[in-house]
Amino acid sequence: MASNQFTLASPPTDAISALKFSPEPDSTRIVVSSWDKNVYVYDLRDENGQVGEGKLLQKFEHRAPVLDVCFGENENEIYTAGLDWDVRKIDLNTSQQTVISSHEAGVRNVVYSPEHKVIISGSWDSTLHVSRTDTGTTTDSLPAVIPLPSKPFSISLTATKLVVAMASRALHIYDLKALALLTAQSDSTSTNGNRVEVEPWQRRESSLKFMTRCVACMPGDTGYASSSIEGRVAVEWFDPSPESQARKYAFKCHRQTSDDGVDVVYPVNALAFHPVHGSFASGGGDGVVALWDGISKRRIRQYQKYPSSVAAVDFSASGKYLAIGVSPGFEDGKDDIPEGVVKIYVRELSETEAKGKGAK
Amino acid sequence: MGKKRRGPSLEELLARPWCYYCERDFDDLKILTLHQKAKHFKCERCGRRLNTAGGLSVHMSQVHKEQLTEIENALPNRAGLDYEIFGMEGIPDDVLQAHHQRVATQFQQAEVERQVATGNPPAGGSSGGPAAKKPKLEPVSDLKKRLAEHRAKRADGAAGGSSGEATPVGAGLTPSASTPGTISYCTCAWSIAIAYSNPFTAIHLYRTLCSTWSPPPVAPYQQIASPGFPPFSPTGIQPGPGSMGYNATGYSPQPFSGPPGYGAPSPAYPSQQSTPTENTPPRPGSLPIPSGLPQRPAFAAPPVNAQQMQQMHMGHPMAQPPVPSYSNGDAARATPPIQSVNDTPGATNDVTEKPVDGTEKPSKKDKAKPTRMIYSDQTVSPEEKMAQIPRYAFSRDRFTQETVLGEIPDATVTGTIRDQDTVVDPAH
Repeated sequence: MASNQFTLASPPTDAISALKFSPEPDSTRIVVSSWDKNVYVYDLRDENGQVGEGKLLQKFEHRAPVLDVCFGENENEIYTAGLDWDVRKIDLNTSQQTVISSHEAGVRNVVYSPEHKVIISGSWDSTLHVSRTDTGTTTDSLPAVIPLPSKPFSISLTATKLVVAMASRALHIYDLKALALLTAQSDSTSTNGNRVEVEPWQRRESSLKFMTRCVACMPGDTGYASSSIEGRVAVEWFDPSPESQARKYAFKCHRQTSDDGVDVVYPVNALAFHPVHGSFASGGGDGVVALWDGISKRRIRQYQKYPSSVAAVDFSASGKYLAIGVSPGFEDGKDDIPEGVVKIYVRELSETEAKGKGAK
Repeated sequence: MGKKRRGPSLEELLARPWCYYCERDFDDLKILTLHQKAKHFKCERCGRRLNTAGGLSVHMSQVHKEQLTEIENALPNRAGLDYEIFGMEGIPDDVLQAHHQRVATQFQQAEVERQVATGNPPAGGSSGGPAAKKPKLEPVSDLKKRLAEHRAKRADGAAGGSSGEATPVGAGLTPSASTPGTISYCTCAWSIAIAYSNPFTAIHLYRTLCSTWSPPPVAPYQQIASPGFPPFSPTGIQPGPGSMGYNATGYSPQPFSGPPGYGAPSPAYPSQQSTPTENTPPRPGSLPIPSGLPQRPAFAAPPVNAQQMQQMHMGHPMAQPPVPSYSNGDAARATPPIQSVNDTPGATNDVTEKPVDGTEKPSKKDKAKPTRMIYSDQTVSPEEKMAQIPRYAFSRDRFTQETVLGEIPDATVTGTIRDQDTVVDPAH
């Protein structure tokens, strides 16, 4: 039996910051952003349409390390965010790059909402920028700036909600519709630099005691999972009713007992929900990727340890593939990244591999 | 009417086969091997059941070209491949010893518990009163409330110079102790001891106790070392040569004051659990405990005043003086809820890393184990740290001027960035 996992050819040369599958149902296209200042576009299928080691389609160089990337309206449009403070749109067909907004510090996250046609980026300058794509993207339509109480570390969205996890364990949930409307209005009445105070739909404190590392929303638009630097994942629901809130829970993961009996706790760097089964994958600094069933609160499986820290995970839109970006990170305290340690693994999942086991 | 047989004897319990990986015990060795094949030696790729960990490892490497690193569904410390286990064979001696001790302790706990529940004295003593016979269900909150009341009363009592200080707290633990509900301390210790066999209550009680209750000086209390849930012991309650309870001085305040129920990284006190399960030889306080039986408390006759003595022997409260005010009636009420929680066995041993409800209630798997975090900065994210490395440094000003200075690496752009076409297609 051939291994159901392979690595992509020509991986980035430096640490991976983000990895996303195309939103189109049967696509096997992947974009990867890296600290080597490039954004890579891969397809898992080679020239003959075989899923093997994949091939690099395109590569876009930026001025500074790229921290996040996402697909836009279709899989030929991507948005990137990076340390050069800019959010860019890149048209894969024409290779044209357009800066759509500029922050005042490095931009950590960028997401696109196909339902509301907005690009939302979160930067260490403690703001969100919301840019509309349907206003005939002219250079003078400035994005709306939403101030945040803290630096955003991770953002995730569903069809209706936007979850922003920030420093100081703060977490805001915005109603996307309201956000889109308000920012549209601010565009027309452009005063004092497009700053709009938007009251979040919900303000929460993270259920985890340590810095939030990643948030990911459930595909069913019902809740989200968040992870912290202290080897823990919390699962929570949007519904503010006490019954729903009582369902939230957290659990420990990505820990190892060292030889001297000390529990070594790794950060949980990445979370991704399976689009079909609703289970989720977590990737940790220990190089382990585990699949969890958030409903029955069970671990579905845990994969063999990868050679170094897992920086990003994502499921393909069909749920058939799981891509895992592996790169040595801050965990190792290394300044230099040797050749060949940054890898992108792609796992072909069997029909039931990511499916929950059901309640016991 | 013949004497009713009540459950298995200690010998029978000790003779039961049990699984090294998850500490479950079974009626039959055959069932144990079936369990191991199904739970621990099953290939996650193809579902084939192998006989041993070694077999599974060979199977994984030959058939699936993968390396087996840990046993599925095993307790955290038992997931290693170091031992070739088949049924009961291959279990290292120290682990076996620890298991025996645990079984014995649990047996004793159950014994004590049964006495409390039924009101029967251990051996032909006087009756504990009918009040305790029917276990009543009572929510934990009530229990805690009463505990708090009791504590307040106790504080009063101590101030009033009662003899409480010298009363051995763990006295209730020994089967040879007097009737249940003797005096306040005994019953109190009982409830703690019993509560410990259930993880949730244990932690609740533990926390309340630790925060507000200054532990009594003499406290022979043998804890249960359950592998799924290492026991806590409030300061001073755990003595004895085979154990290593932490003491008050070693207890450092936790750095973060989050919600109290949340499983924080516990302060570094070693637990008995980590000791027997790790297979590294030099262990402090390891287990040469002869029969595997728990430590009996030293039972010096406590100075008991006449009032209390009477209570002890009557088994019901008399006209109450204000000082030792925790009456027997209270004690009787204190026990049933604990009993009821205990009736629902905690499933701590089932799955190792399954998500546990940790937000509301403390995680049952919170180990009293030192932890080391790989990344512990609370305010600066790893990415921000990385961004400060010179290699990644980016100065916006330099680029907005669109001039290239000498120190910019060659890889960066000269001239206007916007116009640059940086598509690289490796196919060509």
